[in-house]
Parts: sequence; C-alpha cells; structure tokens
Amino acid sequence: MDRSRRNFCLGAGAAGIGAATLATMPAEAAQARQGGDAARRWAMVVDVRKCVGCQACTVACIMENDVPENSFRTIVSTYEVTEQGKTGTYMLPRLCNHCEDAPCIPVCPTGATHQRQDGIVVVDNTVCVGCAYCVQACPYDARFINHDTQTADKCTFCVHRIDAGLLPACVETCVGGARVFGDLNDPNSAVSKLNRETDPKVLKPEQGTQPRVFYIGLDPKFQGKVDGTPTLWRPAREKEHV
Amino acid sequence: MENQIVEVINVTREVAWLPWAVQYFFLIGLSVGGVLLSLPGYAFARDEWRKLGRVALLVALTCGLAAPVALLSDLHQPGRFWHFYVVFRPTSWMWWGSIFIPFYVTGLLVYAWACFREELQEQGRVDSRLAALYRLAALGGGRNDGLIRATGLVVLAGAALVALYTGVEVAVVRARPLWHTPFLPVQFLMTALAGTTGLVLLLNRFAAGNDRTVEVQANRLLAGALGAVMVVGGVWLAAGLFGIERTHAEALDSVANSEAWRVTAIWAVAATVLPFVIAVAKPAGTGLLTGLIAVHSAWMFRWTVFIGGQTVPKTGAGFYEYALPAGPEGLLGIVGTAGLWLFLLLVITAFLPTPPQSAPRPVRAAPAADRAVAAE
Ligand code: SF4
Ligand code: SF4
Repeated sequence: MDRSRRNFCLGAGAAGIGAATLATMPAEAAQARQGGDAARRWAMVVDVRKCVGCQACTVACIMENDVPENSFRTIVSTYEVTEQGKTGTYMLPRLCNHCEDAPCIPVCPTGATHQRQDGIVVVDNTVCVGCAYCVQACPYDARFINHDTQTADKCTFCVHRIDAGLLPACVETCVGGARVFGDLNDPNSAVSKLNRETDPKVLKPEQGTQPRVFYIGLDPKFQGKVDGTPTLWRPAREKEHV
Repeated sequence: MENQIVEVINVTREVAWLPWAVQYFFLIGLSVGGVLLSLPGYAFARDEWRKLGRVALLVALTCGLAAPVALLSDLHQPGRFWHFYVVFRPTSWMWWGSIFIPFYVTGLLVYAWACFREELQEQGRVDSRLAALYRLAALGGGRNDGLIRATGLVVLAGAALVALYTGVEVAVVRARPLWHTPFLPVQFLMTALAGTTGLVLLLNRFAAGNDRTVEVQANRLLAGALGAVMVVGGVWLAAGLFGIERTHAEALDSVANSEAWRVTAIWAVAATVLPFVIAVAKPAGTGLLTGLIAVHSAWMFRWTVFIGGQTVPKTGAGFYEYALPAGPEGLLGIVGTAGLWLFLLLVITAFLPTPPQSAPRPVRAAPAADRAVAAE
C-alpha cells in the first residue's frame, strides 16, 4: 500500500495551516459553505507522469457512484502526440477540480450546488431542478445531467467515502499511484508536500477558478482546450473531421 | 516539423440546454419585441401605428404565453420549478429570471386586455350567443388610453428586465467564449426585433387582414432591425478578428477551422443581408418573403448560439457531435412548442377576429365617447 495515498487519514489532527502558495478563501464565501469539516481542505494531486492510462479509475468511479451509461465523473483523456517524427501517448485524468472559486456555484438558481467547508463542491440532487446552468458554467466540462436522477452530476471526491475516513475510489484503485489525495490544510500531508516541492499546475488557470486538483507534469498543450483531432468516440462521429 | 495531437479517448458531453431552450429564447425574445412594437400604437395612442401594433400584440401574446412552457420543459425536473421560489439566490441570473418572467407575463396579460378591451366591448354589442362573455371580459368598459399607457409602461419594464436577464444569463458564462461577450444581450434583442417584425409580416398576411400599410411599415422596421444586427455582428467579428479582446479572439478561434461553422456564418449573413436588401428596395408586396427569412434567421441565431455553442468542447479537441433526437429532447420539443404557439394564435384570433379595416368601424363612436370620458 502506498502510504502517501493514505496520508490524509494518518494526518488527522494536524490542521489549520494553509499551504503558503494557495490563496485563502474570502470570508463571505467561507460563511456560505455548509457541512464538512472546516479544518480541512481536500485536494488531489495527479502525477501525469505516473498515469498508465488504464482507466481503472474511470471504472472504479462508475462502480462506486453508480454513474449511468455514457456518463463519466472522471475519465483519463488519452492523446496520441506526434512531435518531431516521434509518436507517444499522453494521459490526462480529468475530474471536477473542486475549485476554490467555483463558477458552477453562483449560477445555481436553487442552491443545490454548494461547497462544503472542506472545499468539496457537491450537488444536492433532491433540490436540483436540472436546469443545467452549472453544466454550462463549469469551464472543465466536469458536469453533466444524470439521466437516472435528471439532475446535475459530477465528481464529489467520493464525499461519502471521505466522510467515512476512506480514500476516493479512483485514488484507491490507481495502479500507477498517479492520484494522490489529501488535506491541503495539513502541511504534512502528501498533497501539501507535493504542492510545495513540485510546483504543480492546474487546468485553465486563466479562468480564475483556483482548482484544487493539481497536475505534476502537465504539458501546457493540454492545459486548456486541446488543439487536436478528435477520433471516433461515438460511431456517429465518423462522418465528421476529414 | 509537424506536430500533431490526436484525441484517442475522451468523453462526449451531450447538450444540456435542449432545443426547448432555443424555443424559449426565441419565443420570449419575439414576445418582448412584440410588446415594444405595440407600444407606439397602443400605449402612446399613435393612430398610424395602431394596426401594426395590433399584429405585434398578437405576437407578444402568443409567444409570451408559449415561452414559459418551453422554459419549464427545458428543466430536467420540471415538477420542481417551485424550488426557485423558496430560496434567495441573487447571484444567479436564472433565479432573477424566475422572478421576472411571471411579472412580465402577468403584465403582458393585463396590458393586452387593456388594449383589446375596446374590441371586447364591440364584440359584446354584436348580437351573438357569446356577447355576454365578451361583455364580461370587457368588465363593463371600453378603450381607456390612460389604462393602456399605465399597463404599457409596466409591461415595458417587464420586457426590459426579461431582455436584460435572458441576454446576461448567457453572456456571463465565461466558460464558453462564444457566449461570453457583452454584445450577446444586444444581439439577442436586435435579432428578436427582426424576428418579431418578420412574424408581424407573416401574421399580417395570414391572420390579420393583409394590410399593405402595415406591410410597408413592418418592412421598414425590419430593415432597421437587420441593419442593427449587421452592425453589432460586425463589431463582434472585428473584436475577434483583430484580437481587440481575448475572449472574442478565443471565440472566433474555437470555430474558425470548422467547415460547418463557416457554412453557418455564410448562411447567417445571407439570411440578414437578403431580407434587408429586399425590405429596403421593395417594402410592398414582399412581406411574406422577408418575414419568413427574418423569423427563420432569428431562430437560427438562437439555435447556433445554444446548440452550436454547446458542441464546442471546453477541454476536449474538435467538436461534439450533435444529432437532433426525434423525441421530447429534440424534434418533438420544437414541434410541440410550435404547435402550442399555433393553438394559442388560433384561439386568440378566433376570440378576437381582426376588426374590419375598410371604412371606419360602425361602433367607432362608442369607444371614442369612452375615451373622452377617460380623458376627463
Ligand atoms: S471543476 Fe467545474 S464543477 Fe468542479 S468545482 Fe470547478 S467549476 Fe464546479
Ligand atoms: S442543474 Fe441543479 S445544481 Fe446545476 S444549476 Fe441547475 S439547479 Fe443548480
């Protein structure tokens, strides 16, 4: 067992100190947050150099969270990259970034989408009207309408597991040890250390969302909308893109 | 050396604002436009605008009543619509919309009633089995310009709020560069006005006595609206082309390499320039053609913004595929809303047939007397 991935459990108790590089949340935002442990700030660091593109996380998430067919809370975007005559594969695990300044929250007309005090952005699907405004507002295409519940859905960092002291299913299952989860408020957590030591990057920083999913080894070409050729995903796509 | 990225695995996010939303934004825009065009003739009692105003009022009413149905259907949990009304969410423009829409629609109903009261009264004087019903609907009165103006100003405020929120709601979505432009609310309003005028031309032809002066008047208005559409569109394009502002450049960039988007752009320009030229060159006798193109172009604009906009991935490569589903999530939604609109039009025009236009109306004296009373 990779101890660093378990770190957040072991580090319980040591809290309250924010990572130096991270902006703290505005007071009014903090007040609006409900539930969760205010002493913590859950985050993930994804080391893309370690990702082997096996999609075990994708499958684990689907099983854990009963994600309907054709929908994904997390997926490993996979790209074939040709540079100077050499071809390689680039993997980028994507999920909700549990942004510090999440644009999906203010647009929600019912308050169904909200942020817990531990930073996890959740949807109360008993309140959500399925207006999909949040789906539009998320700059990462992290959200979708779940057709079983007809409400907005997305990665929750496996909040039910976190609250039970477990790791998110994707982290637990990651073969390459590419996904590290933990508490940013704990300076000794693996995520805090990686943050200090490796200067990880986030997706679309220019959006000002302050993601709390960080990437080590993030190629700038994949930081925003990828400029590339899509290939067949749905059969209907065949006729497009000559 | 050639660098190349091929996306091998990624997710396709489906369109989450459905064609219902296109219908909503189209209908509510036309309704707002209808209110605006009806104001000179009714609220400001300008006789030369009265006939056109009546047709515009039909547009405002039919579209304004059908629109909320389309909006409700766009919710994936329509039965929970009341959730909007048990919270205070001022940061959400959609929440504001849930306040503005009932205000606007109620205002519209009262305003339309005030405008049509004169006709209701006249119908009440006709010897028919429904006369009593008309008299009841007229609430024992006739034309009252003061009331029309007061309700007109209220509905104008509602229309302004609706125009504001529908535009800003979409424009604030920073995640979509194509939407995130201050020009969008203006474009929505201008294309809505063009669409309204187009529908006025069509209704004038088919549901309101085919009046030549109304046609010419509406074609002139249409030319104005289309001119404005072209100016705003041109400024948006310039902001993107010359990189004056980053979001606009990004927006243009995100679609510039797509054949489908190029065709759409050419189509949009043609559907704006063509009716503009016709309306300017020959405003009489062309209403059917210009009207049809204008209505279609206002709808296409919204289709392109909403459905087209959502096919641009925020992180993935290329475009998401969109095929119009046949069921309620797609075609049925479009046809259903159109059917509802037609039904409303038939009911309203059956209940309030176009007053005979040749020669002064036989009962003209009575409302005039009422007006005198009201003016006192
Ligand atoms: S990634 Fe998207 S859904 Fe997740 S918190 Fe950020 S804006 Fe919201
Ligand atoms: S879909 Fe649900 S969670 Fe998203 S904005 Fe609408 S009500 Fe809020």
